[in-house]
Parts: sequence; C-alpha cells; structure tokens
Amino acid sequence: MRFRLTLLSAALTGAALTPTTYAADWPAVTISGFGTLAATSTDTDKAEFIRPNQSAGAKKDWRTGVDSNFGLQATAKATDTLSFTVQGLVRKNPVDDVGAELAWAFAKWKATDDLNFRVGRIGVPVYMISDFRQVGYANTMIRPPAEVYRQVSGDYFDGADLVWQPTFGDTTLTVQFGGGHTRQKLVGNYIEYHPVLSLHVVAENGPFTLRFGRANAKFSITGSAALTGLGTTLRAAGLAAVADQIRISDVDGSFTSFGGTMDWKNIVLQGEYAMRRTDTRLVMHTNSWYVMGGYRFGKVLPYYYHGNIDQKSIRTMPGMPTTGPAAPLTAAVNGAIRAAIQKSNAIGVRWDFRDSMALKVQWDRIEPKEGAGAFIKPAPGFTGPVNVYAAGIDFVF
Amino acid sequence: MIKSLKPITKWSGKVAVAAAVLAGAAAPAVAAEIVVIVNPKNPATRMFSEQAAQFFVGKSALFTPIEHTEGPLRTEFSQKVLGKDISQVKAAWSKLVFTGKGNAPKEYASSADVRKAVAADVNAIGYIEKSAVDDSVKVILTVQ
Repeated sequence: MRFRLTLLSAALTGAALTPTTYAADWPAVTISGFGTLAATSTDTDKAEFIRPNQSAGAKKDWRTGVDSNFGLQATAKATDTLSFTVQGLVRKNPVDDVGAELAWAFAKWKATDDLNFRVGRIGVPVYMISDFRQVGYANTMIRPPAEVYRQVSGDYFDGADLVWQPTFGDTTLTVQFGGGHTRQKLVGNYIEYHPVLSLHVVAENGPFTLRFGRANAKFSITGSAALTGLGTTLRAAGLAAVADQIRISDVDGSFTSFGGTMDWKNIVLQGEYAMRRTDTRLVMHTNSWYVMGGYRFGKVLPYYYHGNIDQKSIRTMPGMPTTGPAAPLTAAVNGAIRAAIQKSNAIGVRWDFRDSMALKVQWDRIEPKEGAGAFIKPAPGFTGPVNVYAAGIDFVF
Repeated sequence: MIKSLKPITKWSGKVAVAAAVLAGAAAPAVAAEIVVIVNPKNPATRMFSEQAAQFFVGKSALFTPIEHTEGPLRTEFSQKVLGKDISQVKAAWSKLVFTGKGNAPKEYASSADVRKAVAADVNAIGYIEKSAVDDSVKVILTVQ
C-alpha cells in the first residue's frame, strides 16, 4: 500500500518517500499504518455512548474521540524465515486521554510454508475479527459489533502462539493457538490474565469463511477499592456466602464463539454467536450474537446490522435483605452482578471513494434492557432507546 | 446494448470505467491482453486463473505477488482474475498486514517495472500487458 499521509510518513521515515519498503542491506523495514477519523453523537444528554473500555463518550454534541484511532506498524525482515513486527495504537483510553499503547510486538519464525511461531505481545483472538477490529478499513461497519465485542476485556497477551495454515483442496484452514499473561487497564480497575489460552480456527473456501473460537483464562480484577471493599463489607456483615460469589481473584473464565462471513457476488454477510462463562457473578454469564448483511453496488456498500446481548446468570442476589440498614448493600451487590444488556439495529454505508480510503456513515438505534445497557453515566430514569450517529473516514497506508 | 440490461454485477466495472474516463485517463475497458508472469527459474509452466489469484489476495504465500499502482490494468486484473474491486483486495490485505500475517505486495507504476521486479526475484509472480513480455520472464497464464 502506498504512502498516503506523505507528511507524516516523511517525518517518520526521515523523508524516504518512494516505496513503503526501503532496503538497507539489513534488515528490510516496512512501515504501514491505518486509522479512522470519525465524529459521533447521539440524541440524548442523559447518558454517554462509548466503545468498550472508554470512560467518556458521546452525547448530543459531536465527539471525535469515540470512534477515531490511529495505528502504525513496522515490520523488519531479518532473514527469509525470521521477522519482527511492532504496532502502536493511539485511541481514547480508559482514563479519557488519547493514549498510545503497544498493541503488537512479536518475533515471527516461519518454520514451514504452513507453520509460523510467534513470541512476544500478540493480539488475543477471542472474536472473529479481534485481530483487525481496530482497522476500520478492513471492516464493513464503522465500529466492531458492540453487543458481542464488549464481553472480553484485554486485547493482547505477552506470550507465544503458533499459526498453522494448511490447505485442503479449495479450503484453507487457519489454526491459531497460543497463550500468555497480561495486565491491562480498564475503567476503574485492571484485568490480569494468568494465563489466558486461546484457540482460533478459521476455514475459508472461496467467498465463505467459518470460524470457531475458544479462550480459557484464570483472571483477577485488581486495583479496584470499590470491589475489594464490597467483599470486605459483605464478610463483615456475615454474608461470606455472598462474598464468595463475587470473587475477583483467580477466577476461571471461558469464552466460546462461532461465526461466519460470506462475500459472494455482491452480497456481504457476517455473523457471530458468543458465550461468556466465569466463576464469579461479577463477570456475568452472557450470550450475545449479531448479524450484518450488505449489498455491494460497486464501491458503495450499504449494510444493516442487528445485535443482541442477554444475561444468563442471576441479576438479583438471593438471600439478601431488601429493607432495613443492609438494603444499600443489597443494592450495591445487585448493581455489581447486572450485565449491560441491550439490543441494537443499525444501518450504514461504506463508500470506497478513493485509493485506500473509505467513508462510512452509520446510524444505530440502541435499546437498553433492564437498565442503561452499555451506556455510561446514566441520569436517573434513563432507559433509551438512543439513536447514535457516526461518520468517519478510514485509511491505510 | 444487451449488456447494459444486466447492470447489477457489472456496476463496479462501469463505475471504474466511468471514473477512468472522468479522470481523463485514455483507458478503454479492455486495452491490451494481460498475461501472468513468473521468473524463468520458477518451475511452474502453466497456471489456472484461480491459482494465480490466491497469491494476489494473500491466500497463499508460496509466490510473492508484485502489484501495479491503481489504474486501468490493475482494475481489469482485479475484476477478471480476482473477482473483486481493488478496494476489496486492499481491505483483504489490510487484515493480513495489521495482524502480522502478511506483507502487502509492492506496487509498481508500469508493466516494465513489474517485469523487472519479477525478473529479479525467483519467487515473484506478476502480471503485465502482453506487449511488454520479453525473455527475462515466463508467461504462465493469459487472462481471458
């Protein structure tokens, strides 16, 4: 892909303008990048719309922070079989700053034509499009499907994986298996995986892909005085049995998902079904799914999206007083074990208006269920539904 | 104009041609015959269109694809051999590039430059106008 942001890339590469690869004798370094410049707004000031793991979002005023990002990647090829890749990502982070993070940093050894091993910081492929969900240009919609893609926090691990890509006739299989540790900042706390293991299997045949994913983790939520305090208060109040159900240390969790895509003739389809299960009521059992369908008219691709997430674990802790002095404690526990559930419908259009750039416009209508859904800072009485409007330009270079 | 009565699947082609005409590029839809070329040392002697396509969309890394910058030749190759619009092909590559699974093909501005790149790399595969072929490369497929 050619340089698009010439000024930026000139600054980055010391004004080596012509090709993306400029060969010193060793190693050959390739610089590439992606990004989205977008503005987002809603039709309410009673709650804020966010992407997962943001602490401030969009209301009626247009904001650029929610859906914009920028990524820059360098790959150095040391030999024919050994390469190094580093990718930085800039986006609105959990403390409402525009922060840079090291999204990928790994060494890759190509053992055979079909088999690669990687060591370092690697994206954890819990979802079908986990690995490239930040790359707007690689996706049809303006943002990853909110209902499914908010269930697992933590985008990467520090560890190792193998990627095996055998071909059987017309079908290409990708089997990616890996594991590692991670500690990542969330809103109000940290998530630690020690470790997480993930399996990602994709079968591709012509215009069709089918995908299965499974991740298992031992995890802890740390750095949250509120959650730690809740447990302590419950034990002090003689409610140890309840405290045991909202553990935050060394919890077992799993995430299982199925999905598929089709890009046949001009019809584009994508869908996933995903289930989260853990041993603590604080990280609720949820089932979620979405479907997206579009039709390509040359460079213009209108699409429709429907997504849904439901909670499968209890939303009210049994055996706790609903009146009297302990009632606020009961409310705190119930608040902590209720998942953000909602459904949404969206329509949008992607227009590949020029080389390596796409313009997207999307209108979501989100209906929270039993609460505020995935909206944050809800005003008392907020229920939705909320219309969310967004427009943006995706680019790669 | 029977063809214009089957518009849906032909739209992308028409849009591209219209765009080319609007852009002032003197580019009729079919200017020249396109051939797929490899290095003479490459043992392959013939290839089906579907086989050649997998290298240009990143499905096989056995050969290294050499691409053209955007223009009528690439548009025609993308549609006839890859069955996709150039932007679809680029979106597919961006999935591989930004997950560290592949490197996007190098792009050259002319058939002569692509021929030179293929002649210089035993693993390379490219496509050029038939009239640009010489002894430095081997033709393995003529695009129909």
